[in-house]
Amino acid sequence: MDWTATRLLYLSELRAAMRERAVLINGILIPLLMYPLMMWVMFSGILFVTARFESFASRVEIADLPAEHRGLLERLEEDEGRIEITEVEAPAGTAAAAYREDVENRLLAAELDAALIFETVVDPPGNAEVLLLSNGSSDQSQAARGRLERALSAERSAWLDRIAEEHGLDGADWQVFEVRSNNLATGRQMGQFLMGMMIPLFFVIMIANGCVYPAIDSTAGERERNTWETTSTLATRRIHIVTAKYLYVATMGLVAGTLNAAAMVVSFRSFLGPLLARMGGGGGSGFAFELPLTSLPVLFLTAVLLGALIAAAMMILAAFARTFKEGQSMVTPVILLVIFPVLVLNDPSMEFSPALAGIPVVNVVLLLRQAIAGNVLWLQLGITVLANGAAIAACLWLASRILRVEEIATGSFEGNLFQFLRQHWRPAGGKA
Amino acid sequence: MSTVQVEVQGLSKNFFDPSRGEVRAVQEVNFECRGSEIFGLLGANGAGKTTTLRMISTVLQPTAGTARVLGHDVVSDPVEVRRNLGFYSASTALYPRLTARETLTLFARVNKYPAERTRSRVEEMIERFGLGDYAGARIEKLSSGMKQKVSIARTVVHDPPVLIFDEPTVGLDVLNALDLQKAIQELRADGKAILFSTHIMSEAERLCDRIAIIDKGRIRACDDLEGLRAATSQHYLEDIFVHYVTGEDTTA
Repeated sequence: MDWTATRLLYLSELRAAMRERAVLINGILIPLLMYPLMMWVMFSGILFVTARFESFASRVEIADLPAEHRGLLERLEEDEGRIEITEVEAPAGTAAAAYREDVENRLLAAELDAALIFETVVDPPGNAEVLLLSNGSSDQSQAARGRLERALSAERSAWLDRIAEEHGLDGADWQVFEVRSNNLATGRQMGQFLMGMMIPLFFVIMIANGCVYPAIDSTAGERERNTWETTSTLATRRIHIVTAKYLYVATMGLVAGTLNAAAMVVSFRSFLGPLLARMGGGGGSGFAFELPLTSLPVLFLTAVLLGALIAAAMMILAAFARTFKEGQSMVTPVILLVIFPVLVLNDPSMEFSPALAGIPVVNVVLLLRQAIAGNVLWLQLGITVLANGAAIAACLWLASRILRVEEIATGSFEGNLFQFLRQHWRPAGGKA
Repeated sequence: MSTVQVEVQGLSKNFFDPSRGEVRAVQEVNFECRGSEIFGLLGANGAGKTTTLRMISTVLQPTAGTARVLGHDVVSDPVEVRRNLGFYSASTALYPRLTARETLTLFARVNKYPAERTRSRVEEMIERFGLGDYAGARIEKLSSGMKQKVSIARTVVHDPPVLIFDEPTVGLDVLNALDLQKAIQELRADGKAILFSTHIMSEAERLCDRIAIIDKGRIRACDDLEGLRAATSQHYLEDIFVHYVTGEDTTA
C-alpha cells in the first residue's frame, strides 16, 4: 500500500474542500450552527410570546361572587401580569339570560377577555356552580381564561379544606382520591432521555449531509471538471486514489456528525434546559443536559462507523454519475435509506438486543442512544463494530470492483449500479 | 543515437458501443520513440490518436498488443509507466481549488520525485514557466494561458523522460499555441522523448522529427518529413496526408 500517495491525495482533497463554499456550508456551518440558531430562535420566540402574554391587562368580569370566595380576587392579583377586575351583580329572573347574552357579545367584540358567573347553591355556604366564559380565538382571552382557571382551582381546593375542617375532617380525608405524582428520574436522566430521542436522528442526517457533496464532488465532480483523467495519470495505483477519496468523504461525514452532536449538546444546555425549566418541564427534577464522559469515545466511534459506511455507500452510487446533477439523484436515496431505521427506532419499546446489533445503521443508532444514557452494552458494541466493519469492507470491495471497470473509470458507462450489476455479474459470469 | 524510450507493438483497442456494436478504434499500431525526439501522430478527428496515447499513458487498457515506456509494460507495470511519463491533453484539466504551487507539489510528490528536492524543483518550474506572480493563486482564478502554463509545468515537474502531448494547442490562441510549441522544443532539447498528436499540419511540420499518419485506427505511413515527401512525391504535409488517407493525388 502506497500510504504516502494516499496521504498526499487525501490532504489535497481536504484542502480543496475547505475552499469550497458548499462543503463548508453543508459539512461544517450547518451542523455547527443549525441547532444553536434554531434553539435561540425558539427560546427568543417563546420568551417574546410569554412576555406578550404577561404584558396583557386581562379584563375580567365576575358576577355574583359569594362572600366565601373573596379570596379569589387576591389569588387573581397574585398571579403574574396585570388584571382588571370588574365585579357586578347579575340581574335575576328573565334579565339573567339577557345579561349572559350581553357578556358573550362583549367577549366576541374583544371588549372583555373572560367572565365568571357564579350561580350560588344554598348549602353549604359558598357552594356554587361557576360558568367561565372566554373567546378561544383570542390570545388575550385565552390568557385570561388560564389565569382564572388557576385561581379558581386554588380557591376551590382551599374552600373544600375549610368545609372539611368545619366537619372535623382533615383535608386529606376529605379529598380521598388525591393523586400525587413523583418523578423518580434525576434531571440528568431526563436530559439524557431527551437527548437520546433527538440526537441520533439529527446525527445520522448530518453525517449523511456531510458526505453528500464530497462523495459527488470527488467522483462525478472530477468527471465534470475533466480532472479524472489528470488524476488517473498519477504514478500510484487506482486503489490508492479511491482510498484517498473515500477517506476524504468519510472524514467530512465524521466532522459533520461530531460537530453536530457537540453543537446539539451545547444548545440543549444553553437554550433548551433554561427554556424547559421556565416552562416547568421535567417534573420536579427539571432537565440537566450532560453527557457522561465515558460515553464520549463511544459517541466518536458511532460517528466513525456511520461516516465510513455512508461514505462507502454514497461513493458506490456516485461512481456511476457523469455530472453533478446525476450524482445528486443517485446519492439522495442513501439519505432516506439511513434515516428510515432511525425513525422506526423512535419506538421506546425497541431493545438493543444482540440480534439488532447485527444490522448496520440500526445498531449504530441504538449504540448511540445507549451511550447517551451512559449505559454501554459491550457485547452489542462488539457485534456493532464487527457488523459495520463487514458492511464497510463489502462496500469498499464493490467500489474497487466498480472503479476497475474502464467504462466507469472513464465515465463512458451509461447506467447506474443496478444496470452495472446486471451486465457484469450475470449468473453465467459473462460480460455483456 | 538515443535509446528507444517508447516502444509500441501491435497495439489495438476495441470498444463496445450499444448503437454501433464492436468498434475497432486502434488496430495493430507499431512505432517507437527515442530520447530528444518529437514523434508526431497526425490524424483527423476520431482517427485513433487519443486512444493510442491513452493506452500508452495507462488511462485505457489495450485489447491486444503491447506498449512499453522505458521497458515497463503498460498493463503489467502501470505505476512505473506513469512515473516515467508526463501526460498533457486538452481533457486533462487542473484541480480548480488548488493553487499552482500546491498542484505542482502534489504531482511531484505523488509521482515519486525525491521529497527533499521537491520544493526547489517546484520553484524551478514556477520560474521557468513564468508563474511567479500567480503561483499562490487558485487555478480557477487564472486565465486560460496561465492555466496552460501550469498544465505543462504539472506534466514535467517530476522530470519524466517521456512526455505525451495530445492535441495540446486545441482551444489556444495563436500566441499561447506558439508559446507551447516553444516549450515542447525546449523539452526535446532537454533530451525528452515526446509523443505529440495533432490534426494541424503546420504544427506537425514545424515540430515533429518523425510523423505517423493515422487513419481509421491504423498507421498508414511513418517517416520523417523528407522520407514522406520522397515516398509520395508531394511537398506539403497536407498533400502527403491526403495522399495516404484518401489515396488521391492533390497535385494532379
